[in-house]
Amino acid sequence: MSRWSNIPAGTLFLRIVLWLLAFVTITPFLLLLLTSIKSKADVLQGAFALPAYPHFENYVDAWNAGHFNIYFWNSIIVVIPVVAASVFLGLLTGFAFAYLSFPFRRTLFAILTLGMMVPAEAFIIPLYYEMRYLGLINTYAALIVPQIAMSIPFSTIFLASAMQQLPEEVLEAAVLDGAGRFYILRKIVIPLMVPAMSTLALFLFIWTWNEFLIPFILVNDDAYRTLPLGMLFFQGRYTVNTPVLTAGAVIVIFPLIVTYLVFQRRFIAGLTAGATK
Amino acid sequence: MKRSALDGSQQTNFIYLLPGLLFYAAFVFGPIVAALGLSLTSWDGLSMPKWVGLGNYADLFSDSRFYIALRNNAELMIFYCVLPLVLGITLAACVWNLKQREQLALRTFLFLPYIMPTAVLGIIWAWLYNPAFGPFNQFLRAVGLGALALPWLGDFNFVLPAVGIVATWYFFGFCMVIFLTGIQRIDPSLFDAAKVDGASGRKTFFWITLPLLLPEIRVVLLLTVIASIKSFDLIFTMTRGGPANATLVPNIYMYQLGFELNRFGAAAAIAIVGAILTFVINYAIHRLVGSQNKGRT
Repeated sequence: MSRWSNIPAGTLFLRIVLWLLAFVTITPFLLLLLTSIKSKADVLQGAFALPAYPHFENYVDAWNAGHFNIYFWNSIIVVIPVVAASVFLGLLTGFAFAYLSFPFRRTLFAILTLGMMVPAEAFIIPLYYEMRYLGLINTYAALIVPQIAMSIPFSTIFLASAMQQLPEEVLEAAVLDGAGRFYILRKIVIPLMVPAMSTLALFLFIWTWNEFLIPFILVNDDAYRTLPLGMLFFQGRYTVNTPVLTAGAVIVIFPLIVTYLVFQRRFIAGLTAGATK
Repeated sequence: MKRSALDGSQQTNFIYLLPGLLFYAAFVFGPIVAALGLSLTSWDGLSMPKWVGLGNYADLFSDSRFYIALRNNAELMIFYCVLPLVLGITLAACVWNLKQREQLALRTFLFLPYIMPTAVLGIIWAWLYNPAFGPFNQFLRAVGLGALALPWLGDFNFVLPAVGIVATWYFFGFCMVIFLTGIQRIDPSLFDAAKVDGASGRKTFFWITLPLLLPEIRVVLLLTVIASIKSFDLIFTMTRGGPANATLVPNIYMYQLGFELNRFGAAAAIAIVGAILTFVINYAIHRLVGSQNKGRT
C-alpha cells in the first residue's frame, strides 16, 4: 500500500485507464464464457446477468451437435504434420541460406519472400484446381500440403537469421575435427536452435490452427473440416441458440488461450524477433 | 566464394535447398504464376480458358463495384493501420514506465485477441453486435444510451466502422508489443539526458521515442497494410460484404466472382491487383518511413 502513495496522481490515473482498457479488451471473451454457461431463459435476462447455476450441458450439446469431436481431431491431424514438416524443411532451407553458396541465391530469396507478401487469397483459385487435378480435394493432404508450402518462407527466414547468430567458431571447430555437415547440423546446430525452433513451432501452430481460407475452399466435406470452419457452419445452425453457439466458440478458442498463457513469453519474444526481421 | 566453414560443393548444397523449394514452388509460387496467367483469360472452370489479354483488368477498372470495394478497403485502413498504430505507440509509451510484472499482465491481456482465429472472432462479434440479443446494444440501453442501439451490422452507414473497430481491437495490442520492444532497444541514456535537460514527457515522446521507433513503425505499417488488403475471414463471417456492398472489399468480391459466379479469370485479376497494391504500398512505406537503422531491413 505504501508504494501507491509514492506514485503521482497522473500515473495512478494512467494506470487505472490502462487497466480499464485491458478489461474492455478481454470483455468479449468474458461475455462469451459467461453466456456459454447460461440457459436459454437466462439469456433473456440480459447479457450481463449471472445464471442461477452453470449450465455445462451447453458444452456437451455443442460438442455433439456441432461435430466438434470430428473438427477437433481434424485440427490436430492437420496441425502436427504441418508444424513438424515446416520446421524440418525450414531447417534445411534455412541452413542453406545461412551458410551455403549456390547460384541465383538472391533471386531465390526474393521469390521466397514473395510468398510472405502475396496472400493465399491471391493464388487460391489455381491452388484449388491444382489440388483437384491431383485428386486431393476433400482429403487431409489438401489441408496439410499447401499449408506446409505456405509456411516455408517464414520458417526459412526465421531459422536462417537465428542460425547466422550462432558462434561461427564452434562450427569451424567441428569442421576441423572432420565432422560431416549433416552431422554438424544434427548434433551442433539443431541443439543450439531449440529455442528458435520452439518459438517458430508455436507460431506455426497458431497460424495453422486458425487457418480459414484453405479448409474453406479446398474441403467441403464435413468429415475434413477443422475447428474454425466447423464454427462457421455451426453459426449457421445455432444463431438463435446463443448459449450453445458461445459454448462452441469457447471450445474452439480454449486450446489457443491455454497455449498462449503457457508460452506467452516465448510468443512475445518470437513476435518481435520475427516481425522486425 | 565460400560463405562459411560449412560451405561445400554447389551440387551437394542443393540437397539442403531443394526439398523446401520444391514444396514452395509446387504449392505457392506455381499457383501465383498461374493466377497471373489465369487473370489474362476468361474461364468458367469447365471449358477451355479463353485468352482475353488485359480484358479482365479493363473490365475491373470500369466496374463500379470494384471501386466501391477499393474505397471500402481504403476506409478500413484507418481501422486496420492508423488506429492500432496510434493506440499501440501511445500505450507502449505509457506501459513502458510500469514495473515488469504489471507490464507483463497488461501486455498479456491486450495481446490476447491477436492469437485468435479471425473467422471465429467475426462470429463472436456478429453475436456481440446482434440487434436483438447482442450484449453491445444491451450495454448501451443499460447505461441510458438506448437511442444509440443500432442494428450495427445491418446499418449501411455504421457497418464499416463497426467491422473496423473489430480489426482495431484485434491489432492494437500486437502493435503495442512491437513498440514496447522497440522502446527497450533505445539507449536509456537518451531518456536520462532528456530528463536532465528538463524535457517534458510529451517532448521526450515526440523528439526521442517517436523518431527512434521508425523501424518499428514501418514494420507495423507493413503488417497491418498487408492484413487490411487480405482481409477476408473477419468480413466474410460478419457481413459477407453487405449490406448493399457497404463492407465489400476486393477479396470478398474475388470470392463472389470466382466461387459463386464461376468467373475465375476476373477473380484472379482482382487477386493480382490486390497483390500489386500490396507491393506498391509496401514500397511506398519503405521509402516514406525512412530506414535510418541500416542494420535492419
